[in-house]
Amino acid sequence: MSASLMRQPLMLALLFLPSGCLVGVLLIYPLVNGVWLGFTDASPLNRSLHFVGLANFIDLLTDPKFWEVLWNSAFLIVTSIVLSTLLGFVVALMLTSGIRLVGLFRTAVFQVWLVPWIAVAILWGLIFNSDYGIVNFVLIDVGVLGHPQKWLADPVLAQLVIISAFTWRQIPFMMVVALAALQGIPGEVIEAAAIDGAGYARQLVHIVLPLVRNVMTVVALLQAVRLFQEITLPWVLTHGGPINATTTLSLYAYKIAFERWDFGMASAVGTIWLLLLAGFALIYVRLLVARR
Amino acid sequence: MMAPVPAVRQFPAPVLRRLRRQAARTGVYLLVSANIAVLLLPIAWMASTALKPRSEVFLVPPVWIPVHPTLAGFAALLSGHILTFFENSLIVASGSALLATCCGALTAYGLARISFRGGDAVLIMFLAAMAFPVPLLMISMYTLFGSLGLLDTYLALILANAVVALPVVVWLLKGFFDSLPVEVEEAAFIDGASVLQTLLRVVFPMSRPGLAAAAIFVFVTSWNEFAFGLTFTSSTDMRPLPAGISLLFLQEFQYQWPEMMAVAIVATLPILLLFLLFQRNFVEGVTTGAVKG
Repeated sequence: MSASLMRQPLMLALLFLPSGCLVGVLLIYPLVNGVWLGFTDASPLNRSLHFVGLANFIDLLTDPKFWEVLWNSAFLIVTSIVLSTLLGFVVALMLTSGIRLVGLFRTAVFQVWLVPWIAVAILWGLIFNSDYGIVNFVLIDVGVLGHPQKWLADPVLAQLVIISAFTWRQIPFMMVVALAALQGIPGEVIEAAAIDGAGYARQLVHIVLPLVRNVMTVVALLQAVRLFQEITLPWVLTHGGPINATTTLSLYAYKIAFERWDFGMASAVGTIWLLLLAGFALIYVRLLVARR
Repeated sequence: MMAPVPAVRQFPAPVLRRLRRQAARTGVYLLVSANIAVLLLPIAWMASTALKPRSEVFLVPPVWIPVHPTLAGFAALLSGHILTFFENSLIVASGSALLATCCGALTAYGLARISFRGGDAVLIMFLAAMAFPVPLLMISMYTLFGSLGLLDTYLALILANAVVALPVVVWLLKGFFDSLPVEVEEAAFIDGASVLQTLLRVVFPMSRPGLAAAAIFVFVTSWNEFAFGLTFTSSTDMRPLPAGISLLFLQEFQYQWPEMMAVAIVATLPILLLFLLFQRNFVEGVTTGAVKG
């Protein structure tokens, strides 16, 4: 197949040109150009652009607000991913405990993932409303809260609101992946352990966890990368506030680019983001190599 | 498989054992049901609020099930911009699904069948592209679309959504084509079919589940996409649902919760429909990008 394909330049062009053009013009060029713009004062409001060297980067790195945003996004996303991975795994564990109707339960859980982010944002606005939101009502009713909280007006509470939404929306995904991983464990392995007298807890720690750990780590990392891009929720619910508590790195870059129209500065943020990604990728690959 | 059945000690009586096992099972069922109920509670609240008359929304204690259910919230959507937003979203999501799946399928097939030096590098680049900071890409896209006169058109949104989803599509379909038996294609080829004919008559028909999964993935991500719609369109009539809702609806219908929950439900329906129609492909499509990585 390979050989006959190679002899047909037209066919090769058909296979690779459409994606090549799309990716080249709308992915590679914007990436490279974006890094370059980080060293300029580009803005759609200016006619011309000037090379400004490292000025944007120095401004950013010496701005405490930038570090705050970096820390806040890491906190929001890592917490949400860890929580949703753990909870999704626990639900999957329950579903593989030999009960029936697994498909039905899985479908029920997956409904949560179908709700678009914009709908989650409006819904969270309703249930966390300070005057008549159901969360305030229930928490006061069971005695956790003494008086209604203004959830979106307090930095820490607003972060909790965002984390709860991220986690809730992410659990089904993690559950589906964990379920697939758990169902992939051969039954004989567990049976052998059971015959050897390993109880449920020991089976879990010594057999199940090591077998699914890699898959779950990879998925959690990739979902973290994806969640990093998610701006609907903070944009709609808090617009990044109060005092940047819910500004993720992507919302920060977005606001600088398309609300302040400072393309140069926004590109610098994007470039730092790229560098961080590259760093993580490097660590990740090192870990993979080390494990082998 | 790994039922948390307490080890039976001195009572080997089968009846007793069965009773215990059943009790444990029932416990697990209850636990699972309770967990899922809690997870689904927000959705139930969304549906319940959408069906409430306005007088019941602000009641304390809250009304869980509407006493006088009404469709007024949904009816209010028919006259406003929501239908336009909905239509825009449908056009953009279908367009980008079609574009990304077609281009992605061709490239994935090429990568799967031709072994050339650097093929792995191309794949890894595609994987890395999933993590490219979207706001950074949007800056040059915005300028580019602006100079091509594409701002405020469907094409800009379709191109942007398709290109962001394309790496996942290639990744997903390359895996799918790898798993197909090459012999079938070679047989068709020997029978005198050209490569293109083989592709269209043999490979793609065999790959329907994979293509469906890919298209669903693109549709769902485009349906959810917010920033492109917010930035690359400027007239109200061109906004897709998420951007339209956040810019217009949140002001127009502020605190009119039945209407707002109705719109949240309407925004969920196409995704729900896709899920119900293509359940297996759907779950594969939206999770494969994550799992195969």
